[in-house]
Amino acid sequence: MISRAVCEAVLQKAASTGADYAEIFAEHSLDHSINMVGGSVESVNDTVIAGVGIRVYKGLRSVMATTTDTSESGLLRCAAQAAEALGQGTAQIEIVLRERLYGDIHPVKIVPATVPNKEKVDVLKEGVFAAKEYSDAIKQVTGTLLDIDHNILIANSDGVYAQDRQIRTRLMVTAVAEKNGETQTGAARPGRRMGMEMFEHEVNAKEAGIHAAKQAITMAGASYCKAGVMPVAIGNGFGGVIFHEACGHSLEASSVAYGMSEFTGKLGQQIANPKVTAIDDGTIPNAWGSINVDDEGTPAQKNVLIENGILKSYMIDKMGGRRMGMAPTGNARRQSYAFTTTSRMTNTYIAEGTDNNDDIIASMEYGLFAKEMGGGSVNPVTGAFNFAVNEGYIVRNGKICEPVRGAALVGKGSEVIQNIDMVGTNLDMGQGMCGSSSGSIPTNVGQPLIRVSSITVGGR
Amino acid sequence: MNFDSFKEAVVRAAKAQGIEEYELYYQAGESVSVSVFKHEINEFSSNVNGGVCFRCIVGGHMGYASTEDLSEASAQDVVRRAADNAGILETQEQEFLVEGGQTYHPLELHPYELPTTDKLVETVLAGEKAVYDADPAVIDGSSASARTNKRTVAIFNSKGLDLHYENNSSVFSAEAVVSNGQEMANAFKMEAGSFDKLDLAEFVKEPVEDAKSQLGADVAPTGAYPVVFAPKAMASMLRTFAAIFSSESTQRGLSQLGGKEGETIAAEIVTLIDDPFYPESGTPINFDAEGSPAVTKKVVENGKLCTLLYNLKTAAAAGVKTTGNAAKASYNSAVTVQPFTMYLAPGDITEEELLKKAGNGVYINSLGGMHAGANVISGDFSLQSAGFMIENGVKTKAVKSFTVAGNFYSLLKQITAISDKVELPGFGGITAFGAPAVLVEGLTIAGK
Repeated sequence: MISRAVCEAVLQKAASTGADYAEIFAEHSLDHSINMVGGSVESVNDTVIAGVGIRVYKGLRSVMATTTDTSESGLLRCAAQAAEALGQGTAQIEIVLRERLYGDIHPVKIVPATVPNKEKVDVLKEGVFAAKEYSDAIKQVTGTLLDIDHNILIANSDGVYAQDRQIRTRLMVTAVAEKNGETQTGAARPGRRMGMEMFEHEVNAKEAGIHAAKQAITMAGASYCKAGVMPVAIGNGFGGVIFHEACGHSLEASSVAYGMSEFTGKLGQQIANPKVTAIDDGTIPNAWGSINVDDEGTPAQKNVLIENGILKSYMIDKMGGRRMGMAPTGNARRQSYAFTTTSRMTNTYIAEGTDNNDDIIASMEYGLFAKEMGGGSVNPVTGAFNFAVNEGYIVRNGKICEPVRGAALVGKGSEVIQNIDMVGTNLDMGQGMCGSSSGSIPTNVGQPLIRVSSITVGGR
Repeated sequence: MNFDSFKEAVVRAAKAQGIEEYELYYQAGESVSVSVFKHEINEFSSNVNGGVCFRCIVGGHMGYASTEDLSEASAQDVVRRAADNAGILETQEQEFLVEGGQTYHPLELHPYELPTTDKLVETVLAGEKAVYDADPAVIDGSSASARTNKRTVAIFNSKGLDLHYENNSSVFSAEAVVSNGQEMANAFKMEAGSFDKLDLAEFVKEPVEDAKSQLGADVAPTGAYPVVFAPKAMASMLRTFAAIFSSESTQRGLSQLGGKEGETIAAEIVTLIDDPFYPESGTPINFDAEGSPAVTKKVVENGKLCTLLYNLKTAAAAGVKTTGNAAKASYNSAVTVQPFTMYLAPGDITEEELLKKAGNGVYINSLGGMHAGANVISGDFSLQSAGFMIENGVKTKAVKSFTVAGNFYSLLKQITAISDKVELPGFGGITAFGAPAVLVEGLTIAGK
């Protein structure tokens, strides 16, 4: 994209007023999605994102400038703007870039951008029609086949000059079922950091459609969940969103470094039930949230966050690391050049435990089995969170009974991880888009079946 | 190249590729933002962004392609990709481009000089100080930030349309983090508009008081109560469920209001208005994302659904005229339907009188987790809330960590009183939502 020599000149300019760190993030990306509503292809989104973000640091001060003018003169102008905003001073650092090849631990066999639209439509239709034809109760189906092809370049005053190509593919099917005039939805959204070969062995489009339809029908027949405090078993895969929201965000440097996290200053302390080991791993081959190198040029890592309940590590970007006096952990991410990088999750999950899955359900006299979770949000300062339960069942005398809708799990991160008292053995991952100050990025959440001994269930 | 040269390149490329009906939509922005942490400027950013969306009707279908790369090669590429994308579409609805030469509501653009970078820095430093000075419970982590934005939108099409719009805006926000030694709480406030009118000491009172009230707050008791939504909480409900008023949602079976125009869908006291020129919105605009004239309309009047919101395509499918509500989430998004400033019209009683009417209930000051706890299609919601108990018609002790649950379609009918003052929480975008305080009967609170 941009030559090493040009990057050196631009970084030199950016650091000319006394910065102690300077960085270029350049990207040329293709985002492509085909959308179906009902049985027909309704729209195609097809965008080239191209621009550059230049950042400079001096101590704890950070400045960013962005531009879509990627000519050498455009980049130098942008660098000069960043340098000027940083303040007045003289150059303190020397820029010498050495090209690095991090390799690719996420091989792609079929680059989506080279697959004709028509072939993509065939795959999408397989998913959508599987949902549509599942039952007469299915009143509407929407589907999206998304592929993203991000070419990024990172050059910084630590000497890094590296490029990466991040290719991701995802199928999303949402089904709407109607029973007695009430509508409910069900969804499946599998994705991987791979190309169209995802549909050869990893993801079956038809199964995704059927999953969405079944869930919608189950929920349309359900009565409202009664509110109360009770034990809750949370299903594997996307159930991990509870850890992602309630604890993961509070372990990001963007919260911890600013004292805005309930886990600030707690390294080495018991913060969770000894049953809980939690990991953020950007190196899982071809996983949705995986990277080769983060958006500041740090290689991806596997970070054990919590081991047997003890806090072992945070997720740290360069600026967070400066504030905390700690090294970056390969978690610096941004949606695009237009966002300021910060510490984010990659693939974050609760590791497998030793409890038998059947024992977990059998242990509950009266409670909720949240088989599939929906989205959630958290306030990192207080740890207060709220999650929707997309598919839930009442558990009575150790048996899974009738489905219930409209349930939400409400609580506080630091409390809920103390209350995870059983951890099963069926670890799986679910895909999501995580929104935060550096934009919307692909992340995996995951866990085996777990039990929370007591939590507030919102319903009516 | 600049937009005008790119436009010419696109016209040439379209001609060369035999495309006759097309539109080029351009959106560009320049923003500067500054934030402060522990009394020092910690982040400064200056962003230039922008892109174009080319769309064209080929074989009766509208294909789209977008790019941020404004070069000659990119102009040819974007035209080719859009035509290619049109080739796989299967929609039955007819596609339209707006005819040129229409009449637009005259826009009174208030001459609005953006604050300089120095002024931004000065304001955030003073704003953060005001937060610390407001109360001894305020701790580090409290912050302030300010942002200016210049926005340009242009639409050009093969039917003689050539519109252009520029708007300046600025936003100030402050976050208060407080502690009582045992626990922390925070609250945030944002306001768009000129910094000259900003009284910082006054501005920070609300977030500081909101945060403080949450310290030591109890969990609300579970039960069914009369619930009062604060104006900002009601505005956030409207934002969350606004899609039910979209004809695109009804035509796709994703809203239950399809075919209900003329019917009663809300309590008689409910009137809902969409106004592109609402005085406090900060971003008045006189054309929509297709270039149709933007107009003010009553969506609901005295409980009756007057009209859904339409763009050209959905209006043609329904056999009505567009309401000028075509919208794009971003320059590269497909045209959809959105309100401009949608607000619940004020009633005739004060908020104090509204509380008296509630008697004993719960006052919801803030809502969270909207994307998780609300199902826009079914209307069901179960939302994380914080607020106060209402006892004998007055707000008493603070409560938190509870959910309020119900169904939005039912809620519209369960509104029994509306206060007399609309608030428009600042978001600074083209789409904004406002509401007075409302009293709703029959919602469920889940707490302890």
